[in-house]
Amino acid sequence: MAVLEEPIKEILTVKNYIGGEWVESKGELIDVVNPATCKVIAKVPISTKDELDEAVKAAKKAFPEWRKTPPLARARCLFRLKQLMEERFEELSRIQTMEHGKTIDESRGETRRGIENVEVATGIPSLMMGYNLEDVAFGIDEYVIRQPLGVFGIIGPFNFPFMVPLWFAPYAVATGNCILIKPSSEDPISQMKVAEMVEEAGFPPGVWNVVNGGRTVVSAMLEHPDIVGICFVGSTPVARDVIYKKCGETGKRVIAQGGAKNFLLVMPDADLERTIAACMTSFYGNTGQRCLSGANLVIVGEGLSEHEYNQFYKKVVNAFVDAASKIRVGYGLDETVQMGPLRDKEKKERVTRFIETGIKEGAKLTLDGRKVKLVGEWPHDCFLNPTVFEDVTPDMTIGREEIFGPVASIMRARSLDEAIEMIHSNPYGNAASIFTSNGKWAREFRYRVQCGNIGINIGIVAPMAFFPFSGMKQSFFGILHGQGQEAIRFFTESKVVIERWF
Amino acid sequence: MLLNTASAVISFLTKLEEETAKFYADLAQKYPEGKETFTFFSRDNQKNKNMLERAYYGVITDALEACFSFKEGLNPEAYKVETEIAEETSYFDALKIALKTEETIYKAYTDAASLSEALMADVPQTLRKIANKRDERIAKLKALIKG
Repeated sequence: MAVLEEPIKEILTVKNYIGGEWVESKGELIDVVNPATCKVIAKVPISTKDELDEAVKAAKKAFPEWRKTPPLARARCLFRLKQLMEERFEELSRIQTMEHGKTIDESRGETRRGIENVEVATGIPSLMMGYNLEDVAFGIDEYVIRQPLGVFGIIGPFNFPFMVPLWFAPYAVATGNCILIKPSSEDPISQMKVAEMVEEAGFPPGVWNVVNGGRTVVSAMLEHPDIVGICFVGSTPVARDVIYKKCGETGKRVIAQGGAKNFLLVMPDADLERTIAACMTSFYGNTGQRCLSGANLVIVGEGLSEHEYNQFYKKVVNAFVDAASKIRVGYGLDETVQMGPLRDKEKKERVTRFIETGIKEGAKLTLDGRKVKLVGEWPHDCFLNPTVFEDVTPDMTIGREEIFGPVASIMRARSLDEAIEMIHSNPYGNAASIFTSNGKWAREFRYRVQCGNIGINIGIVAPMAFFPFSGMKQSFFGILHGQGQEAIRFFTESKVVIERWF
Repeated sequence: MLLNTASAVISFLTKLEEETAKFYADLAQKYPEGKETFTFFSRDNQKNKNMLERAYYGVITDALEACFSFKEGLNPEAYKVETEIAEETSYFDALKIALKTEETIYKAYTDAASLSEALMADVPQTLRKIANKRDERIAKLKALIKG
């Protein structure tokens, strides 16, 4: 099948969007490379601290007017933005495939998820309402008003370049705040396109700003006294030791989402065919580069004899390996491709090192994704095929640490209790799933497992826009989460009024 | 080559709708006695295409198994349809070609629906709805052939 037409035909220069103007940065330009073709598709600036300061100034200047703009009028800007995103849905999706490497199905899924957040935020006239109670004492009424806070910073990750900033941005501006987004410098193009649509949708200058760059911009955001809060999605060490810590020191609100090591349990009564399909998208979707990816597949022998368990284990492993070995890997703009490349060479090397460590630590390499086999003729630089390890234990490096690549570690557990203990022994707590037909096991799992996002017969536990994107333990630092009502609370202060008239 | 992904299957079925829309538009011009039926079919194909696109683009999400939703895959070679009519073809023969086309497309939709069952619910439901519409066409064409 032919590759879909690429929307980026020549090398783009990514600009900053500050105060309603497209501004060229004085910073160094670095290449944005399509990981499937290894071609440079854009140049992105590493902006300076001064440029970040300019953006904060623009946002701060826009804030007083924007917060006074009626919520309904703010919602109308979001309605227009949603409409523009729908009109350019396919272009946005193909850009994500080009800049990140994910398949076109995955990119369209990401686009839809991003748009859903804009849709939810259009309900701001209802979502932002406070509450009240008459006669808290004789002749005295009390009520809560939700008010915006000012300027927020949003720091996006490379793995969902379009969607993740939209977990926060629509809610922030809908509630009357102004924002500046720092997209990942690895794939900044879709956020530039979003800013183009923001401009066309008629947001006033300074409400929505984009500053491209790296650590300098992030540090400046964290230090800046006029930024009242930060939303971050990335690795745990940065989320915990940099973002969360610094926001604590500077008194900023914070949502800091970190890494994950997600366990998927297969119980003896699971619908195997559907479980395996769900596992494929969980372990290998987005080439394993997502914080909700399956990492450890635990085959649980609850209620089975040793012999029955061994048979069940083999059946699951064979089905899993068979399906994984058939995954078509290649350029995501080929519609028949099921898995794209890693984002860059360094990420491939990192995943390869994990595979080597797994072998050294005694895990059995059942499917070796280092033997790259592609659909189509593409440079192998960033590609790996699906990899499966058996005999992995929770204390092994590959069973414990986040690999962020297409590697599945299969583990054994004789009981549900043992499997839950395995989950709890891991420091992360982002997501966990159980595949079963047994309601009691499912309830037990949901009730006991200390992870923010729980799946029951679901491979990727991605909360919809009207639910919070949760996370626990070393996967999340903060109190309120992105998306839905929690985002509304995060981006507003509750002001309490107690009123008496003499 | 087998089509496993939602994107590939939707593109394939969309193309079938487009090709057969043109086919029926040509038949409508060529055979005045079947103009009403063929014009209806051609217009209805556009509606089917919209239904397909809405079902896919409306529910697609990164959480669902879009890349793995068609099990072992749909073989497009099994659903090749004839969309060219020779100059000398009679109305009766044209109806028979149309019937064969509809039977093939009906099978494409029902097979695709069975393959994708339960993973992206809206997609197989839509595929079944369109298959039912195709089934009605088959009955209509058979009645026309019977005279």
